[in-house]
Amino acid sequence: MDTLLTAEIAANAPRYRRRSSTFIDGIHDVTEDQGNMAPAQLYSTMSGRLFHSGRIAIVMVGLPARGKTHICVSMARYLSWLGVKTRIFHLGDYRRATVEGGHVPEDYFYPNASPASVMLRQKILKKCREDIYAWLNHENGQVAIYDAVNPTASGRIALAKEFAKHDVQTLFIESYVDDQEILKENARNVKIHSPDFHGMDPDEAAKHYLKRIEKKIPVFETMEEEELNYVKMINAGRAFYYNNVSFNYLTHRIVFYLTNLHIKSRTTFFVRAGVAEDEESYKADAPLSLEGKAYAKKMTEALLKHRELERRLSIEQGGPDVPLRSLTVWTSTRLRTIQTAEPLKELGYKVRQRSQMSQINPGVCEKLSERAIRAMYPEEVEKHELDPYHHRYPRAESYHDLAVRLEPIILELEREQNDLLIIAHESVLRVLYSYLMHCSTMDIPKLKFPRDEIIEIIPAAYQNEAKRIHIPGLDPKTIPGSPEDIRIPVPSEPGANLPPIPGMSSPEPIEVVVTRPPEKIVNKAKEMVSDKVADED
Amino acid sequence: MAPKINGVGIMPEDTRICVVMVGLPARGKSYIAQRAQRYLKWLSIPAATFNVGNYRRENAPHPSADFFDTNNAEGERKRRAAAEAAVSDMLKWFKSGGVVGILDATNSTKERRRWVLERVASKGIEVLFVESRCDDENLIMANIRDVKTTSPDYVGQDPEKAALDFRERIRNYEKVYKSINDDGDEDHLTYLKIMNVGKKVFINRIQDYLQSRVVYFLMNLHIRPRSVWLSRHGESMLNLEGRIGGDAPLSHRGEEYALKLPELVRESVGSDRPLTVWTSTLKRTIATARHLPKHYNQLQWKALDELDAGVCDGMTYQEIADQYPEDFQARDEDKYNYRYRGGESYRDVVIRLEPIIMELERSEDILIISHQAVIRCIYAYFMQKTQEESPWVPVPLHTLIKLTPRAYGTEMQTYRANIKAVSTWRGKGSTAKHEDPAPEGGI
Repeated sequence: MDTLLTAEIAANAPRYRRRSSTFIDGIHDVTEDQGNMAPAQLYSTMSGRLFHSGRIAIVMVGLPARGKTHICVSMARYLSWLGVKTRIFHLGDYRRATVEGGHVPEDYFYPNASPASVMLRQKILKKCREDIYAWLNHENGQVAIYDAVNPTASGRIALAKEFAKHDVQTLFIESYVDDQEILKENARNVKIHSPDFHGMDPDEAAKHYLKRIEKKIPVFETMEEEELNYVKMINAGRAFYYNNVSFNYLTHRIVFYLTNLHIKSRTTFFVRAGVAEDEESYKADAPLSLEGKAYAKKMTEALLKHRELERRLSIEQGGPDVPLRSLTVWTSTRLRTIQTAEPLKELGYKVRQRSQMSQINPGVCEKLSERAIRAMYPEEVEKHELDPYHHRYPRAESYHDLAVRLEPIILELEREQNDLLIIAHESVLRVLYSYLMHCSTMDIPKLKFPRDEIIEIIPAAYQNEAKRIHIPGLDPKTIPGSPEDIRIPVPSEPGANLPPIPGMSSPEPIEVVVTRPPEKIVNKAKEMVSDKVADED
Repeated sequence: MAPKINGVGIMPEDTRICVVMVGLPARGKSYIAQRAQRYLKWLSIPAATFNVGNYRRENAPHPSADFFDTNNAEGERKRRAAAEAAVSDMLKWFKSGGVVGILDATNSTKERRRWVLERVASKGIEVLFVESRCDDENLIMANIRDVKTTSPDYVGQDPEKAALDFRERIRNYEKVYKSINDDGDEDHLTYLKIMNVGKKVFINRIQDYLQSRVVYFLMNLHIRPRSVWLSRHGESMLNLEGRIGGDAPLSHRGEEYALKLPELVRESVGSDRPLTVWTSTLKRTIATARHLPKHYNQLQWKALDELDAGVCDGMTYQEIADQYPEDFQARDEDKYNYRYRGGESYRDVVIRLEPIIMELERSEDILIISHQAVIRCIYAYFMQKTQEESPWVPVPLHTLIKLTPRAYGTEMQTYRANIKAVSTWRGKGSTAKHEDPAPEGGI
């Protein structure tokens, strides 16, 4: 409800944009902390623009059900993470704001549309472009992503010319799909939730939907314009074609990201490692304690039960009766994470170790209590509280260092097609979570991942959502930040206690209801935005 | 990144890739192979190139064009044997811990590609074909002149004759050449096809991150001839005192170097062709670049700033040895990995320089004015210096370095300004303010 409302306000007032409700990711939010650096940003410049690239408009091309919105959102997520100021402009938002319910006349997309439809189209386009220019010219934006069908070659050439006049470079990204399976899958996943298809067999509904698109947008020309910069992503990343007139560094970076992206939907789970024997030593790399081993078993049970439950629910709601997607497990190279994955490995799940995923290096803070750190390094603590994200204690890594170190993991995360369970130290989970849910750098060091919860992140085309799944039967002592964690003091201003996802803050041990059923937190994010992707953007 | 065995005996990373070059002669294949290898090694990924031509030369050191005619049975047999030897050696190398092996040959027929794929994939190694296709005659001729006057096949021959013979050799290859998936029956292959030096690129079935990383690098590469110029800033006030880091202005002699630099650059470039100048964001490099001609485009990169010495910034080596004796020793033991308290290591600098390297590969004719540690890292990239060597390379002040990447290695020329400056090089264990570099020193 809120999202809908703000989407309309956003489209009508360029200065005001939505601020998402907190349990869905913030990728469409406008951050107010313009001065802050992004998680993996390597440097800043006076103009706010990076990589010596000017302003870029990324223009999406492709019919509905080609995964355009998903590509836009993912790209924006990655670019912002690198520190490039990026904003997405979904033409659909503007259409909905202009026409009640977004129901445009029948001939809206026809090449020979009636004058009234053409006028309407012009009006909507104009509004969207004005916002793009405002973002690039007055709000220090560097990249504007323009999410629309852009079906004709002549239209695209005219668009590139217009942007060039405003001193903006254009890069077109087409998602081209001729694999019927992928099309049906996309339609089934995001497009057929509208009432029109209610009670229909999902395959049948998908077919209907695709037919309707064909009728509604009769002319679509795939990109072959020699004079334009474009990337054609073919069948969800199976192949790519690049036409390079003048790629710059940033364009290459985007291209690199796209080669790792796919548009299939899959889930990521985050859990902590179990408690280890010599818990306080970073260097020791100790094996799991008895509690740690018990945790590994219970976590495994809870996870598998949850996956089975989700599958059953989906079938009950009319979803197809297909087997579960495979699950791959990633751990760091630290023993406690490897051993936490042991029960899953015994069950035959594939476990991979990634050396980049080892926890933040605590430097001099190793084996010290927070109190001792405060006593011994008062100046460092003071500096740390001013900028907990970038400050590094002597010989230690900062969260920023960690984020830069994790960048290859981010790209592999995008590449992975199976469901993924990540078992890692809380510091690593914080950074990876912040990437997927687009958290502000100020919040990252404060994110909490209590041990009795599995965090599930479900990518949706418009924005990701997070759920938490309770692991029952754990010793309450081991649930909150265990002594395994190097307690680098983090500022904890009272009142600023707003956790980036509500309910994700770690409960005090006393409040833990150990008998809490393993249920998911119900969340309407997907329904709230389903209209965003259910029409012909 | 080398495969490591940890406590429970599992290899953390098991991806191994064989990059198989495809394309007619004089399309920049050897150049591309060599650059990819250098880039990966610079990032600490074990990489090696296996050049079939080198194996063939053992049996046929200076063959004429008809050796490469497919109707020449003897030639065919020798070339086949060379390919076999190269692939066997490569597989041996993979067994000993190699991660990315590059097979540098024309591999211009479907049969040959199928053969390589079968040999390599059966060992659990991924195969990535990289084809360079080019039909721009000027570019091909430039490559022929450049490569073939430096190729071991034509050593001591008249360059004109060599070029003619080489054209003939290419024609022999053209008779059987088949571009990847031109017939539509190689769609199952993982490949990268670069057409006309990156104007058009086709990528098919990339399987994992490391492959995408290699592809990304190759897309940034171009094979047009060019050079890169490197210079440190002019001598600074802190250099005079033997202090590291800081953001000091130039000394009197440093100013002289700044005035002399335009002349030095013109002499080295040989014409008034403008260069693009990249400096760091520190005063001493910006001041050094300020007298360069106005039509040179200048950019400042934060990533080109000097290695951050953290708490030791602005100290002399003696002061560091006194105040942080353990650190001082630790640094000499492993200078590449040592990270100053609150500062950076050489490894950190390499990571932050990666975008610079990528941009450098894309660009033509760049002059970089930066700092000792940063120049060392860039120099190590072009000259293939190991992690043990690179932090110790002497890079004297008031010297312009010109690097020209070629198919068979990078050429270096130095131009000295003949303006006196202190030495900032330091030998292992030394705390001297100004020390003369070791005599066998690099630049």
